[in-house]
Amino acid sequence: MDYKYIEQLMERYWNAETTLEEESILRSFFRQKDIPAEMEPLRALFADEASSQQLGDDFDARILEMISKEETAKTVKAREISLTHRLMPLFKAAAVVAIILTIGGALQAPWDNTWNTPQDYARVQQDLDSVAAVSPIQAENMSDWSTDSTKILMERPKN
Amino acid sequence: MISFHTDILPLKNELYRLALRITMNTAEAEDVVQETMMKVWNRRDQWNQIESIEAFCLTICRNLSLDKMRRMDNQTQSLDAAYDPKDQGVAANPEEQAVQRDRVQLVRQLISMLPEKQRSCMQLRDMEGKSYKDIAAILDITEEQVKVNIFRARQAIKERFQKIEKMRK
Repeated sequence: MDYKYIEQLMERYWNAETTLEEESILRSFFRQKDIPAEMEPLRALFADEASSQQLGDDFDARILEMISKEETAKTVKAREISLTHRLMPLFKAAAVVAIILTIGGALQAPWDNTWNTPQDYARVQQDLDSVAAVSPIQAENMSDWSTDSTKILMERPKN
Repeated sequence: MISFHTDILPLKNELYRLALRITMNTAEAEDVVQETMMKVWNRRDQWNQIESIEAFCLTICRNLSLDKMRRMDNQTQSLDAAYDPKDQGVAANPEEQAVQRDRVQLVRQLISMLPEKQRSCMQLRDMEGKSYKDIAAILDITEEQVKVNIFRARQAIKERFQKIEKMRK
């Protein structure tokens, strides 16, 4: 058995000059059953520690569970956010329309509410007749009055 | 396409060994691996841009281990508890086995006395078989510095190991 080569490799090993392949050779050598007695102590350097340092399958299960929990939480949050976000422009639009209608309605109220039905028209005529009766001076002008509803309203004689 | 289940989860033991080498504590090391996995999962949008997902995981693992180490104030548990002294299998009789176990434990102890950078370099080289280039990327140092760290580590171990062995005789 040629131990000279191994001794040379060991020198290079101590000097951090060995390649991964050379270190692999040393490892194989020191895991053999029979090696020279003087080399026995070095066996401990290339001992296999990895097999005793492991995490079990329960670790895998735990990690995968943690991940799926996070994923579920994120999806729920995303869904909640997008719903609100989607409706928000709608709410804003509705609010604007409501404002316009309210203001618009308030502006139109004095012009419209007396002339919605024929009965309203008849009532206004009656009022005008009673007015004319009280003020005879202007009676002869009654027939000259136009039947245009808005004009009558605007030109109501002052008593 | 990188998948968590096939590409990242199987790294758990390698990450565990590094975390253990740095923190010298099994419970802390397991926590570190768990945190590492979650951190890597949360950065999954970067996976396909990363050159080596393994180096990425090892880097995060090392940094988390260092954080833990600083916070632990070096409350390291005994090495016997940290490592399960499995029978190395080769020695013939119980006496030799005991001697062998002692030596393995001694090497562990000597490594644990090294500064963290030397310890991590040794772990990644001797236990995980990483190239100097990979180790440099993980530790964010130059390849030359990796070699220097490994040189110092092995020289220190050689010196103390040989001294103690001489005392046996």
